[in-house]
Amino acid sequence: MKTVLIIIVCLLFPMIEASASDQCRDEVFLRRVYLTVTGALPQPWESAKFIDNQSPDKREALVDKLLDSELALKYMQMHWGDILRIKSEFPSNLWPNGVQAYNRWIYEQLLHNVPYDKMVRGLLLSEGSNFRAPAANFYRGFQKRSPENFYANINLLFLGNRNCTDNGHLCFSQIKFKSTKEWKEEIIYLDYYKELPWQKVVLSDGTALTLRPRTDWREAYVDWLTSPNNRRFAEVLVNRMWYWVFGKGIVHEPDDWREDNKPSNPALLNELTDYFLKHNFDMKALMKKILLSKEFNSKMAPEGFYVAQRLPAEVIVDAIASVTGSWHTYSSRVPEPFTFYPQRTRATHLGDATVSSTELELFGKVSRDVSLESQRNNAITSRQLLYLMNSSVLEKNIRRSGILKNIYLENGDVESIANAITLRVLSRRATPQEIALYTEHMQQNELPLMELAIDIMWMQINSNEFLYNH
Amino acid sequence: MRKIYLTSILLLAICFGAYAQRAKSVILVYLDGGPAQTDTFDPKPNAGRNYFGNYKGVCKTNVEGIEIGEKLPLLAGMADKYSLVRSLTHGSNAHETGHYAMITGDTSGGAVVYPSFGAVISYMKKDSYKGILPCYISVTSANSRFNEGGFLGNSYKSFDTGGKPESKEYEVEGIVNKYINRNRLDSRMALLNKFETNPMDKQLIDSLRAVNMEFIWGDSREIFNLNNEPDSVRQRYGKSRLGQSCLVARRLVEAGVPFVNVRMTGWDTHKKHFQKMNSMLPQLDKALSALLADLDERGLLDSTIVLCGGEFGRTPKVLWEAPWNGGRAHFGKTFSYLVAGGGFHGGKVVGKTDKTGEKVAERPVAPCDLIGTIYLLMGIDPYGTLPHVSEGDLPILPSLLDEKKSYGLLYEIIDIKK
Repeated sequence: MKTVLIIIVCLLFPMIEASASDQCRDEVFLRRVYLTVTGALPQPWESAKFIDNQSPDKREALVDKLLDSELALKYMQMHWGDILRIKSEFPSNLWPNGVQAYNRWIYEQLLHNVPYDKMVRGLLLSEGSNFRAPAANFYRGFQKRSPENFYANINLLFLGNRNCTDNGHLCFSQIKFKSTKEWKEEIIYLDYYKELPWQKVVLSDGTALTLRPRTDWREAYVDWLTSPNNRRFAEVLVNRMWYWVFGKGIVHEPDDWREDNKPSNPALLNELTDYFLKHNFDMKALMKKILLSKEFNSKMAPEGFYVAQRLPAEVIVDAIASVTGSWHTYSSRVPEPFTFYPQRTRATHLGDATVSSTELELFGKVSRDVSLESQRNNAITSRQLLYLMNSSVLEKNIRRSGILKNIYLENGDVESIANAITLRVLSRRATPQEIALYTEHMQQNELPLMELAIDIMWMQINSNEFLYNH
Repeated sequence: MRKIYLTSILLLAICFGAYAQRAKSVILVYLDGGPAQTDTFDPKPNAGRNYFGNYKGVCKTNVEGIEIGEKLPLLAGMADKYSLVRSLTHGSNAHETGHYAMITGDTSGGAVVYPSFGAVISYMKKDSYKGILPCYISVTSANSRFNEGGFLGNSYKSFDTGGKPESKEYEVEGIVNKYINRNRLDSRMALLNKFETNPMDKQLIDSLRAVNMEFIWGDSREIFNLNNEPDSVRQRYGKSRLGQSCLVARRLVEAGVPFVNVRMTGWDTHKKHFQKMNSMLPQLDKALSALLADLDERGLLDSTIVLCGGEFGRTPKVLWEAPWNGGRAHFGKTFSYLVAGGGFHGGKVVGKTDKTGEKVAERPVAPCDLIGTIYLLMGIDPYGTLPHVSEGDLPILPSLLDEKKSYGLLYEIIDIKK
């Protein structure tokens, strides 16, 4: 019926035919958008509902729903935590108390959709106690506390500039730290009596800044940085968000903007930057635009634009936990008292690079040593495949999975078991060919139905359809 | 100047064939938490009960003039096989910065996070090492207090075996899975091959999977299989986690693995220190002495460096008061390491601490001096460089180039001359 409709539509509107056939299938879009926005797999019933939904604007409705979800906010918080290097211990040494406060601050910025320029102002103009004025952790997170190092990192983060040669660091030369009587509490303050530098501050684009005595010199710089006239500031965020979605920036690496590193699609970058500026640095609006773009909705390369990406470490570990129902319980060994995360805490929600597990390390969890996006390495390795193929821990988790047991008990035949597992692991229904394959596997190896269920789940977790966002 | 001098010596030595890589492998027996140097390799029997605690005496070793802790009699019988560095110092009393110092040789506070020396060795040997096993293996898990790969990235991190070597079946993650036999895995792989039609990195993944299948069923499985050892050998190392891990380490070194990290936790003894030492030191004594003797008997000690120590030592002064009730706290000002094999002399002591063991009295040794010496023995230029993704080439051991941070490589206990 559906096919007939499409054929009729195609005959009537040749234009639509092009766009309809360029688009990825609904089930592909569903999984892709969930993993991109929330870092989590859709629940099986959500997949079924979305696949069966006939509404023409269901994609937009889903994007709206997801962007407002707690999962999406927490996942975006992870992206920010990576580049702001949020970590209790070495090398950021924010300490658990500071990590909690800092994460909460970022979460609230995202929750209230604070415009990007305001959020960056909040970070850069912060001062006070690392426990009580959370944004001040921005400056505490640098292992090397020098104006030059602060400035180099600010350039990297907000201008994508790896090699700054101007003397803007003078604007950050008033920053001082003092300890308090509370363990690991520190006050970040400004030395307002510092003598004005004798040099003039001249930024890379030739702008000269005037610093006045007994004022916060950072303000002069931040005003310049976050101004809509400073187009690069907006462009870098636009490109970074594109990178977070596609794994490849329009300018790539996303934190390496140079004269000789040109955007692959200048028109697209311009269009998105105009949109972002027109919406006053609204990050959520920008994200929505990207998610509804024809690029994000396209088929996988080479037919379409979208290039498959191996899932990030935290996402893979969470995905395996959510399909088997066996969650790792995370704890922080930072003294004292130790922190024990509630059961079923997602790896994407840990918020602290000091907290880890063997699996997270194996799949390349970001250690947050530096602010470079390239610190996240999503290349598939033989060790990761070895783990998936033959880990006894994974085998136990599948074998003892209550979820799998229930699927087995509730469904009596290969087809319904395969559908239930596939919906959970791959967010789609099993194809007739696959069901034939499973039946053959069961007969050839003389497996009882439950053992077949175990093999199907094992196999799907091993499949690249599972390991990749596609 | 020093660098040019050393490089020219290296070049000369290579020309005359005198300088070759002395050691092939390193076994780091890492006592995580910080072992008490005064209870192990630097006892102070004359400092009184407030320092010496409840021990009755010390062990005289088979080398004239060297004494070690009372609880290490087996190691005392073989002091000619190892040397003691008693004057290590980095001054850090926090676990993570102590680990960082001892595992990277860098001092914390810089803008860059350095890789662990295991990762550096695995990076340096990546072309020459042809073994089937990973270059850098942790039995059973690495210390994850900081990013061990540092700026070299994930690829040079250790392979963590997981599992329990002291149990009946040592389940090495990804290699030994007792639920699944070969037929079952073969049938699963066949199913996966038929199922997989997606193009994503398919060629790469298929080839990696094929290599893994050989790896799982090939020699590696037998190398990790401790049941291949006679029971007498297993008993010799002790049936503790540490003992059997050391036995795994010997088997790995025999198979040519360049870096093995054996980690024993539980050394952070703020409370009940002496009770814990009573059970932990005999385990260490048995395991480490067996490892050294076994390597020696097999002719492997000459090419295998064995190191033993932690991220720092513990306060020489006992905290008798509540809440510690006889504990020792973190102490980075001075502590000891045992070094053996691979070109290190035996029967020597480097450095000296004062009467109570609270200060270095002679010849301080920085972490970079120890790690630099290991690089030298492993045929790696300690004044060489490592590539950083955005900073260009960085010195392999920056502290070694800083006179305030380095006191000189340990030339006094190796054959290579300055």
